[in-house]
Amino acid sequence: MEEVDKILIHALKQVGTEVSEEINSVQQFSSELIVEAVVRCIRVIEPGLGSTLSTSLPPGMSARFRVGMSLAQACQDIGYKGEIGYQTFLYSNEPEIRSLLMCLVEKLPRESAETSDQPTGKSVVLQRAIATAIKSQLAVPWLPQNCRRLLHIETQGPEALHNFHTQPLSLPNCTKGPGKKQLKAEHTGVISVCACMLSEMTDYQRDILPPLTSQPSHHVSLVASILEQHTAELSTAQEWENEWKSQGLLSCLSPQEYCAWKLSRLRKRIEEQLRSAALPSPESVFGGPRSTSDLSELLETFRAPSDHILTKGTHFTHTQKFTFTQESAPVTSIHSRHQSDSDALHQEEELASLQQQLQQLCNDVTQLTADMKHMSVTNTQVLSELKQREQGNSEKEEKMQVKKKTVDLLPDADNNLLKLQAQVEAGANRMVNLASQWEKHRAPLISEHRRLKEICSNRDLESSRKLSEIKSLHDKICVSTEEARKKEEMYKQLVTELENLPQDVSRSAYTQRILEIISNIKKQKEEITKILSDTKELQKEINSLTGKLDRTFAVTDELIFKDAKKDESVRKSYKYLAALHENCNHLIQTIEDTGTILREIRDLEEQIEAENGKKTVANLERILEDYKAIRQENAALAAKVRDG
Amino acid sequence: MVDLLGRLAVAESVTLCHRVVDGLCGREPPHREDYSTVWSLEEWVELLHSLTAIFRLAALNNSSDEEVLAELSGLGSSHTENVLKVLRAREEEIRRALLDITNFISSAMLQDFDWQLKLALSSDKISSLHIPLLSLSLDLREDGALRSVAMEMNRDELNALISSLEAANKVVLQLK
Repeated sequence: MEEVDKILIHALKQVGTEVSEEINSVQQFSSELIVEAVVRCIRVIEPGLGSTLSTSLPPGMSARFRVGMSLAQACQDIGYKGEIGYQTFLYSNEPEIRSLLMCLVEKLPRESAETSDQPTGKSVVLQRAIATAIKSQLAVPWLPQNCRRLLHIETQGPEALHNFHTQPLSLPNCTKGPGKKQLKAEHTGVISVCACMLSEMTDYQRDILPPLTSQPSHHVSLVASILEQHTAELSTAQEWENEWKSQGLLSCLSPQEYCAWKLSRLRKRIEEQLRSAALPSPESVFGGPRSTSDLSELLETFRAPSDHILTKGTHFTHTQKFTFTQESAPVTSIHSRHQSDSDALHQEEELASLQQQLQQLCNDVTQLTADMKHMSVTNTQVLSELKQREQGNSEKEEKMQVKKKTVDLLPDADNNLLKLQAQVEAGANRMVNLASQWEKHRAPLISEHRRLKEICSNRDLESSRKLSEIKSLHDKICVSTEEARKKEEMYKQLVTELENLPQDVSRSAYTQRILEIISNIKKQKEEITKILSDTKELQKEINSLTGKLDRTFAVTDELIFKDAKKDESVRKSYKYLAALHENCNHLIQTIEDTGTILREIRDLEEQIEAENGKKTVANLERILEDYKAIRQENAALAAKVRDG
Repeated sequence: MVDLLGRLAVAESVTLCHRVVDGLCGREPPHREDYSTVWSLEEWVELLHSLTAIFRLAALNNSSDEEVLAELSGLGSSHTENVLKVLRAREEEIRRALLDITNFISSAMLQDFDWQLKLALSSDKISSLHIPLLSLSLDLREDGALRSVAMEMNRDELNALISSLEAANKVVLQLK
């Protein structure tokens, strides 16, 4: 029975019953445990039926009785055929509980059918695991922050929800961009000032600058800010290195010079862009106050460390009043800075006239180029025409020559005609001759050609056949590799599943046990057949003996009956014989009766034993006690009601 | 206006100046609560404005000591000296901050970006999906106000975005 109990307990654990480790047989089950196990089984088998039942046993007697009754009813509904009542759960006896649990466990739905047809693959296993994890996380209810325990912090904590916000940081050794500092030192040109600045900077960094961790306003953005800062520095350094290696080294300049060159180039380019954007429509750019301010702002920013751009910027803001003169700003910038406004005006006029001239010249040039293009096109046209004409000329010349020859032949017409005919005939003859010769050559060549063609087609056929064979083989290889891969995957998945499966139930023990049971059953069957055959033999013997007896009796009876008519003493013996026969029959009857009675006695004894096993008397006593308890409770309740 | 600074002790004035520069560089500006006993609100705002203007102008124009001193006339000599010191110490930083402000001249500008890679395992209609999704959040600064833009993209959309960004980068590189 131990194996059966183990299996039962395993199944109950899978359903969700909390069976403690010490309990390893049904005998040790308490009534609470029994109720829980039965309710969980019912819930799995029929959720609608089980949802109304509670897994715990209430303290009051009447409530216990009600729970027991409803459980018994549910078990009968599910299909348990044995005897069942509320006492089965409250006052358990081992065989009843075992049979009930076995019945319930057998009715549990099988899961193996579901899992077998799911898709295969390692990633699928992983995904399923992730999905189950997420499902369990989703099942956890949301809690306010104060009530969270360690378990929830992982999934519901606010740490994962921080956005990535950065703030500028100030670091003592921060160098934004390589070579920039030296460059600036060069531009300011005063090294002593630089050194003095450095000492002040170290003072500031030592005394005032807060540590990095207290610089950002929110503690949260500290990591983000540091990451951002370092990434920016790293990327500028890398970019500079790349550029220096690709272009800087080619320019044969020192890094500082290269930087300066690049800076000036960039400025020039921006200047050009701005000017080109400003020139075509001066009204639109300088007309609105908004665009003007934008532009001036933009140019203000050019007042960066270098010098000549700075002057331009100031000039630009300076001349903002004379918006119409701004087109010429870059040209006059360097001079006009120190001159009076009238001078500037004068120069503007001059410039305007010069520009007009330039425009005119430009116009002339464009016109001339257009003319040139036109001319070249006409030239090519004329050339092609000339070629055509030359061709026509040569054709006409040929025609003329043929006509000239015929005209020459005209005076001696008959003779020439004959000659011509003879020539034509000779030509025809020659033609026939050649044709026959050609025929001779042609026949073998054609046959050869046909033969070769046939061979060729044969080869083609064979090669196509082989090709198709190869293709089919290739397909087969593909299919089998695919299959092999699938099977490999399936194997892997099954191995992982096998590893994941609970190891507490040993399969081999089960199989061994089953085999043992089967062998036992076989032995028993053999014995039963032996006994059956014995009984049959006995029956046969008995039958033959009774037959023999009957026959002997009949013969004796006849013989003695014949003699009895003649002799008186024989008649007496006949009477005796009849009496003997009757008595013997009686005897046999009695023996048979004794046998059946003995069997009945045995049956009854068994029944008595079974009834004794059920402890009916004790149960009855218990039921009586329950009845009394319920009555007491009812009385108490009634008293309460009366008091209330 | 700057002479209001004279009401503060020398050491404290240095810290205040540094905090003002901090504010100019995009970090936390000084709080009025710390100085509410020294200046009224009006005075505080005026002082802050004038100090900021001085620092900004000095860094912008690369002005010499004398020019700055002319601006600071009316303030005690020790205070003047300290302001000058602060200016010299932070000149580089201020200039960089001003350059940054100029760089951010366009109407909207990307401040921060953050991304998360997600794998959709199932949806309300399909039990098993296998679609990677990228959720990208961009913090845009528009007229001084932060606006966050969040979007979720699948693989194709992300590729499209990356290719367009690369094209934009190419244009920027050509400008250089």
